[in-house]
Amino acid sequence: MAAPILSTLFFGFVIRIYLFNTPIAKWCAGNNEITTPITSWKRVTEGLSLYNSGISPYAGDIFHETPLILKFFNYTVKKMPGLVDLIFVLTDILTAFVLERSVKFISQYMALQQHKRERQFAKDAEKIKISFDDLMWRRVYVVLAYLFNPYTIATCLAKSTAVFNNLAMAGTLLFSIKARPNRRVAMFCLAIAAYQSLYPVMLLAPAAICFVQNDLGFKFKWTSLIAIKSVARTCGWFALWMSGLLLWSFWIEKSWNFLYSTYGFVLTVPDLTPNVGLFWYFFTEMFEHFRLFFVCVFQINAFIYTVPLSIKLKDHPVFLMYILMSIIAVFKSYPSYGDTTLYIALLPVWYFTFEFQRNSFVIGCMYISTTVLAPILYYLWIYAGSANANFYFAVTLVYNTAQIFLITDILFAFLKREYHLIHGLKPKDYDGKPGVVQLE
Amino acid sequence: MAAPMIMRLFFAGSFLSLISGVHVADVFNEELLIKPLDSGHVYAHFQFTTKWDIDIQTQQNFTHYGLFPKSLGEVLAKYSVHELHLSLTQGLWRHRIWGYPVVSAPPGAELWAWFKRDTTNIDKKWSDLVNALSGLFCASLNFMDKTATVSPKLSFRPLGAADQWIATNSTYLRYAAMPGEMVCTENLTPWKKLLPCDTKAGLSTFFKSGKLYDTSYHSLGVYYKSVCTDAECDTTGVELVQSLAVVYEPPVRQGGKQDWSFKSLFGRFLTNSCPVAEASHILVDITGNKTLAYHFHLSPPPDRVETATRGGDKRKFAIYDAKKRPPSGLNLAAKYNRNVIYKQPQPPQLHAHRFITGFGQENGGIVTMLFNTDPKENLTVIYMEMVPWFIKMYFHTLKVEIDGMQENPLHIHYVQAKDRQQPCLMEVILKLPANTTTKVSIDFDRTFLKWTEYPPDANHGFYVTSAVVSTVLSHAGQYTALPQHSDKLISLLSLNDDISSEFLLRIHTETLLVSLPTPDFSMPYNVICLACTVVAIGFGSVHNLTTRQFIEVDPTKNKGFLSNIKDKLKRKKKETDAKVHKEEKSDSIEEKKS
Repeated sequence: MAAPILSTLFFGFVIRIYLFNTPIAKWCAGNNEITTPITSWKRVTEGLSLYNSGISPYAGDIFHETPLILKFFNYTVKKMPGLVDLIFVLTDILTAFVLERSVKFISQYMALQQHKRERQFAKDAEKIKISFDDLMWRRVYVVLAYLFNPYTIATCLAKSTAVFNNLAMAGTLLFSIKARPNRRVAMFCLAIAAYQSLYPVMLLAPAAICFVQNDLGFKFKWTSLIAIKSVARTCGWFALWMSGLLLWSFWIEKSWNFLYSTYGFVLTVPDLTPNVGLFWYFFTEMFEHFRLFFVCVFQINAFIYTVPLSIKLKDHPVFLMYILMSIIAVFKSYPSYGDTTLYIALLPVWYFTFEFQRNSFVIGCMYISTTVLAPILYYLWIYAGSANANFYFAVTLVYNTAQIFLITDILFAFLKREYHLIHGLKPKDYDGKPGVVQLE
Repeated sequence: MAAPMIMRLFFAGSFLSLISGVHVADVFNEELLIKPLDSGHVYAHFQFTTKWDIDIQTQQNFTHYGLFPKSLGEVLAKYSVHELHLSLTQGLWRHRIWGYPVVSAPPGAELWAWFKRDTTNIDKKWSDLVNALSGLFCASLNFMDKTATVSPKLSFRPLGAADQWIATNSTYLRYAAMPGEMVCTENLTPWKKLLPCDTKAGLSTFFKSGKLYDTSYHSLGVYYKSVCTDAECDTTGVELVQSLAVVYEPPVRQGGKQDWSFKSLFGRFLTNSCPVAEASHILVDITGNKTLAYHFHLSPPPDRVETATRGGDKRKFAIYDAKKRPPSGLNLAAKYNRNVIYKQPQPPQLHAHRFITGFGQENGGIVTMLFNTDPKENLTVIYMEMVPWFIKMYFHTLKVEIDGMQENPLHIHYVQAKDRQQPCLMEVILKLPANTTTKVSIDFDRTFLKWTEYPPDANHGFYVTSAVVSTVLSHAGQYTALPQHSDKLISLLSLNDDISSEFLLRIHTETLLVSLPTPDFSMPYNVICLACTVVAIGFGSVHNLTTRQFIEVDPTKNKGFLSNIKDKLKRKKKETDAKVHKEEKSDSIEEKKS
């Protein structure tokens, strides 16, 4: 088991180092699908340059990263300018490793959960039960899917700061699900992720469920005092770390201006540079007096999914975390391929839902065609002048539709499998006749 | 009939004397400088100076007006303006072939103003001031809002009398420019109404827009400042200079000769001078003419010819006094002996050239070439660039190269742009070594705007105003600007002692036209619908999956709406079929019966 994982990590490292010395790296850095105004390395360089000239980068509208990233890269670029590329590569490798560990613990967790629930299962559900070994084997796929996904490689080559966000989110997953979960470290990872890009704050819900399950086992009452206490402790740690990070930033920056430049920028969407998200063209073409309304609607839309999903998936926090990660990638205001990588990498974990999925082929085709078409149509619009914005917009729409189909399909498949586990593969209706399963 | 008339005149006269008894201190001068340029162009610069001996700080002084225009005076007093420089220009002054103008102005509108000490809420005052001036000069100066206004720290200093404290405190300064402003007769008309004689008498009778606007360059200016009235500067007055500069086309059409006359330039003779003017002079720069008839001769011959030496540069002027003209009118004319030989004119010591680099509509760069042509003298210049927020400048790409070698600028003052709030301001102090070309370059990204932020001709592009290069020259080759302490063109002649002094020079570069990527303006509804549909697919699906649960149903029982209708239709068809069948049957029975 260790050999294929180690060799994957190694080859992932080599391919990145090799590609960094090719023109592809430069192409990626200037590509709108891969970098956003927040994560672009060009803007980080600008921030560093301003910071070193004694001008606060938050006084202008180019730099939108957090003060800690600024400080970190200021130190790195000054002390070891040759190692900046390496930092991005190593972060990617580390994320892959963290994901591998996470999958190991997810396997243990799910095997345990299945074992505990086995008595409720229908007789013929044997076929759709997961096998621990199968799941463990998926670790290789996960590492492969992370390190050799063109999206991940491009994000790393573009030196997009999204790689750090991915690491923090993977860390949250790992430390929430570990054999001995560590609330402090998990909340620290989550705080880092939320501090950097705000949206991961949604992952607090699944993490809290994980810790309640860890404290009380799989069967408990949500209204019990211990459960409430556990949730409060999780939230408390998160708030503590988060305020710690913000205060530290304040101490670096000596003013709260950075809040508007980072979170204000994420929430009010003033920059309409094209990206793979839904926001840019929508707010380019928005009527001025409806802008505020729709900004609110779109932002609430991004966060609101936490509530119904947490209620529906309250027994499956890992899957909940996975779905929320993918929802962030679709509905955040400045998404990029970097956000997609994490949930695509974790896709092999849910191999047992694949047989219930309805349109994986269509989704796959949509992903591939949009990825190929996006840079072409952008070129035609911006450089060749022979296409207009609508072409590129159409591609981003299809890309988002593909992501939404993938999320809802896997959610559908998961819920349907749950149903079949309890009711058997060939459920019968009250009259004993073979029935058809429907959502009612 | 006659008696009331006389009475009225008498009253009016006494009233006038009453007023002039209070304010004897207005002095008005009108002047015209004509300079044939080496390139074959003819440069004419009108200057009207009104000097008023009042203290600028006292608000009550601005209630009784003599020669000073009331409409402007009220605006300046109300908004606590200490100094104001407004120029409205059509065309670009080409320094390389024309040398330096008397007053440099960028294409379009440029306005910079200092506010009085202790002025509060300057931003509001500025906004009110530009709106008032916008109405006064029929120009769209009201678009000089906070997204187009800066306070440069290094490039501008008060040109008139100002105490040291305000002169070094740029928070009292506002600078804005509108490179896309079209200047035409609607600006000339209100501008000439500020003159005491309007266009009824004097040099201002030359302002016939048909002729003035058929030129290569045309610039209107209004300059207001506080000046010293005595040598120690114990008392101060205010001074208003109105100037109009025109550069006429080279004379290819006139048989190849540079001949010019009042009639050909302005379309008429000069018949009188403004009666309220203290002096009315016409100066012709005849430096290139070795003797009075070497290249050209002037008719009528000048009243006098004087030579002025300035910073090592000798200039010769022919002077006419318009006050002493015969009533038949003056048609000053220059007659050339031979055709113009078009040659490369000697470029001045400092000139600049600015352009855009890159292709596509994603990013690009601004490059400015600064030429110091002097063989010996180094120059220290302040280069100022004001760029609107929708052109995102990258400070870390700022590069200064002197003849290909990268150099660090001496000092940089950089204010970042803020989206929809403030433009980017960059002031760089550079040292230009003798006989070198300095290249200043910086990269930018083009912003994607909201569809409502584009002008109606969105694909025309967006203007970026001229860069301003300020410096101090030590000798005055091709330099025509007035010294800071004098107010009249005629004082150019008394500058023979002006050898050691320094010459403040400001030049404006080309404006830039940057095209930004545009969305499709025709389909906001479609975009809103399509994007909302995709969001709705996501929301609907998740809503469906989280609020409902799986149950098994009998496929024969619950069929849904459509199949129910189908069933009903089928049943009906069956019934009608049966009916028809029955009727046919009964028909056949009846037939049988019959």
